[in-house]
Amino acid sequence: MARLRMNAAEDDSPDRWEAQLRKGVLEMAALATLWSGRMYGLEIIRRLESRSQLALAEGTIYPILNRLKAEGMVTSQWVEAEAGHPRKYYELADAGRKRLAQMADAWAGFSAGVNSLLEPVLAEKETVR
Amino acid sequence: MNADQQMETYLSVLRAHLGPMTLNEREEILREIAAHIRDAQEEPGAKLDDVLARLGPPEKLAAQYRDGLLIRQASRSYSPVVLLRGTLRLATRGVSGMVVFFAGMFGYLIGGGCVLSAMLKPVFPQNTGVWMRDGHIVSSGTLLAIPAGAHEVLGNWYIVIMLVLGSLLLLGTMYLIRATLRLSRLAQTRLVGGLQ
Repeated sequence: MARLRMNAAEDDSPDRWEAQLRKGVLEMAALATLWSGRMYGLEIIRRLESRSQLALAEGTIYPILNRLKAEGMVTSQWVEAEAGHPRKYYELADAGRKRLAQMADAWAGFSAGVNSLLEPVLAEKETVR
Repeated sequence: MNADQQMETYLSVLRAHLGPMTLNEREEILREIAAHIRDAQEEPGAKLDDVLARLGPPEKLAAQYRDGLLIRQASRSYSPVVLLRGTLRLATRGVSGMVVFFAGMFGYLIGGGCVLSAMLKPVFPQNTGVWMRDGHIVSSGTLLAIPAGAHEVLGNWYIVIMLVLGSLLLLGTMYLIRATLRLSRLAQTRLVGGLQ
């Protein structure tokens, strides 16, 4: 939280703010893609793009997966594929499943509150258009 | 440059910048990124140039891996060098990191100074101690010139007090840095989790 405020003070351009916001939810979003089964890196990236507009430098996801693995949130396994080369599949570990459930709760409460706060702002923008 | 060479170049720059990681970890990363490049190239309409551009520069990708590793190691380390290097990495990210870096430096210097001075007391008993004049502390530490008209008050207690004080400072600094690094590791999730 302090960091969010600090960054806002350093640079309050909307682009920078949006980039921070995306980065902030990326870890949760990456865990969420694994909720219903294992996936490899490119699948995770495509799922993030199609479901949540979290487009970003594709390389960003791999260091995050690497860290989540080191923290015991996910496990990984090389699987031989028809493509001719093995792919590294990630799967949620118990700790990651628990963490994601907590994050989802926090997110749901938080975003509902912020949405209701923003309602009049968005409504006014509609009528101006 | 043909496609294979271009991919090899990307991977070798990545490898060169993954220096501090273990050999196993490095090979695993390279294998995974190579698999990504091959898979992404097979998507309809994909060109290698675009695939590599979307991955981002290999130096930057390697730096993201190294950040994760360094902060992970440092948050478990006891070594002042590793810890300060970890905060230095944070310091490049913003004001809060810089504050922690300087606080850490300060803590280690003062704490180390206390311990050093305690060890110098048996060597320079006359020049080490805390001096008072008229009920006020005028000077303390290991001095070349003893302040005129003041008397030393602690004697050999100086060793005990400085050792305890110095150790507390050093330990406190270590835990402060480790806690900060651990928090920063969670900074991304903190955006969500910290707002509960």
